[in-house]
Formats: sequence, C-alpha cells, structure tokens
Amino acid sequence: MLIQNPLNSSEWSYPILECFHIAGFAVAIGTVAIVDFRLLGLAMRHQTPAQLTKETSLLTIISLIIAVFSGLLIFSTDPDMYYLNLAFLFKIACLLLAIGFHYTIHRRVVFSGASLGTSILVACVSLGLWVSVVFGGIFIAFLSLELNSN
Amino acid sequence: MLLSLAVWLQNTRLFEFLRDADRGYQIILSLHLACISLFAAMIVLADLRLLGWGMRAESISDIVNQTRMPKRIGFVLAATCGFLMFGMKAEEYYYNDFFRVKILLFALVGVHALVFRGSVYNHADELDRLNQPPRRAKFAAGLSLVLWLSIICAGRGIGYLRAPPFSHHFARLFERGEGRGSHIARP
Repeated sequence: MLIQNPLNSSEWSYPILECFHIAGFAVAIGTVAIVDFRLLGLAMRHQTPAQLTKETSLLTIISLIIAVFSGLLIFSTDPDMYYLNLAFLFKIACLLLAIGFHYTIHRRVVFSGASLGTSILVACVSLGLWVSVVFGGIFIAFLSLELNSN
Repeated sequence: MLLSLAVWLQNTRLFEFLRDADRGYQIILSLHLACISLFAAMIVLADLRLLGWGMRAESISDIVNQTRMPKRIGFVLAATCGFLMFGMKAEEYYYNDFFRVKILLFALVGVHALVFRGSVYNHADELDRLNQPPRRAKFAAGLSLVLWLSIICAGRGIGYLRAPPFSHHFARLFERGEGRGSHIARP
C-alpha cells in the first residue's frame, strides 16, 4: 500500500467511529420509525404524521449525515474486504432504497395523505428497509471473519 | 456466586440450543440493534423536548407522556435480546469489563429514574404551565442523554474484549503484529 490510512494506525479509531455510527443510525432510523409508528396508529397519536415529520426531519438528516460519514470512514479502513462482503453489498442496496423511499414515496404519503391501507403499507416497507440495513450491517463483521480466515 | 450463576445459566438447555443454532448470536444481536434503532429515538425526543432543543411546537407533557409507553416497550424488547446474548456466553460476559461498565450504567439509569421520575417525567403537565422548564428538568434530560449514549458505547465495547463479536480491524492489526493489548483475543 502506497499511502497508509491513518485510521489503521490506531486501535481506538475504529471502535470510536463505530460508536458515532451506532448513535447516528439509531437516532436517524428512530426518528423515521416514530413517523412510521404514527402512520400505523401505534404511537404519538396527538400529532399528525406530517407534524411529526416536520419536527423530526432536521434530527433525521443530521444523524443520517453522522452515520453515513462515520460509515464512509469505517469503509476506508478496509475497502477491499467490504467490496467482497455480500452483507455489505446487501446493506448498501437496502440503505439506498431506504433513503430513496424516505424522501419520495414516504414523504408524499406523509404530507399529502393517503388511504389507511397505503399508509400502513408505506410504514411497513419503510420499517422493513431500515431494519434490513441494520441486519446487513451486523452481518458484515461476521462475514468478514470468514473472508479473513479463507 | 455470580460466576457460578453465570455458568449455570449458559448451560441451561435454552442457551445451549441458542449457542448451537446456526448464526443464532448474529441474529439476536441484529434484533437487539434493530430494537435500539426503532425505540431509542423516543428517549431522545422526550429529552430534547425537555431541554427545549426540539419539538417546541408541541407541549412538554404531550411528548413526554406519549413517548413513555414506547420507551418501555423498546427497553423490554432490547433488554430481552440482550439477556439472550448474555445467557449464550454468560461466563465470558462476566469477565468482560465493558459489560460490567454497561451494567453499572444501567444501575445509574435506575438511580436517574428514582430521582427524576417523580419530579420531572411524571409531572410533565406542571412543566407546561411554566414559561421555561426548571433547571432540574433540563439537567435530568441532559443526564439521560449522556447515560444512554454511554450505554451504546459500552455495548459496542463488549465486542472488543474477546471473540466472537470480533472486528476484522483487530484481526488485521494482530496479523501485522501491531495489536498492542494482550486483552485482545484472536478470532
């Protein structure tokens, strides 16, 4: 390797980045989930889904940026491994779908309203996509061990 | 005493079954993090409202009272997954310093609840009537955020003191002979 990534020269860089990553995605996914639970009629019923989205969207985008940028730094520590890791590819596919879905269909349903059936469907798709991102992320570490040992 | 309890627990049939199950640990760890992702923001929302940093269009009581139940459900779900993971490797967890820190932090969350539940969280209606939430409420909210963030960090730390939730990053440091601490086990 011509240039040594400084993140790889410290034992602490990786775990600390992971803490930012976890805290970031927990708040990002959590604020989206609050709106989804509201669409399902399960929580925060004093507010409308549109109100909740308006009031949490800044928090969502800030924590999403923290999660994505810490994620990019984590990725930079071992890009070849991630490239070969099926769990990583699955996670990124789900993440792109989840973000795309959130800022298009999800947004339209929340702000222009939709039938109860559509709202429930959209909330379930959103929750499913975001939970898949989490599952993909956890499995990266375990698949990477198998890649490393081969 | 605690150690023998841990050994007994991990040798029960339930945890033997989970340990032998294909990818059992990974699946429960994923569920644990999924529960955290889905419900932790309820804590963040309530505390940010108390601090006056977010959701200011809504009243304090509206946010605090409506997030109470989801917070409890989320905690029970995440703690159940956590307990299952603990039981699968109870002896290892017993010796894990980050796990001990995490348990200590949960005890502090309990103390936080004892101190502030009565005066802040269960009396959100009274806070609505004041122009500005009292300092005590803001302190409680800030402390709660710090405690839960620390719990996330301690939880991530558990995986770094012994296999199996082991990072490829450390595996490579080891291969290059750069792994400094003897506490870092080989995968």
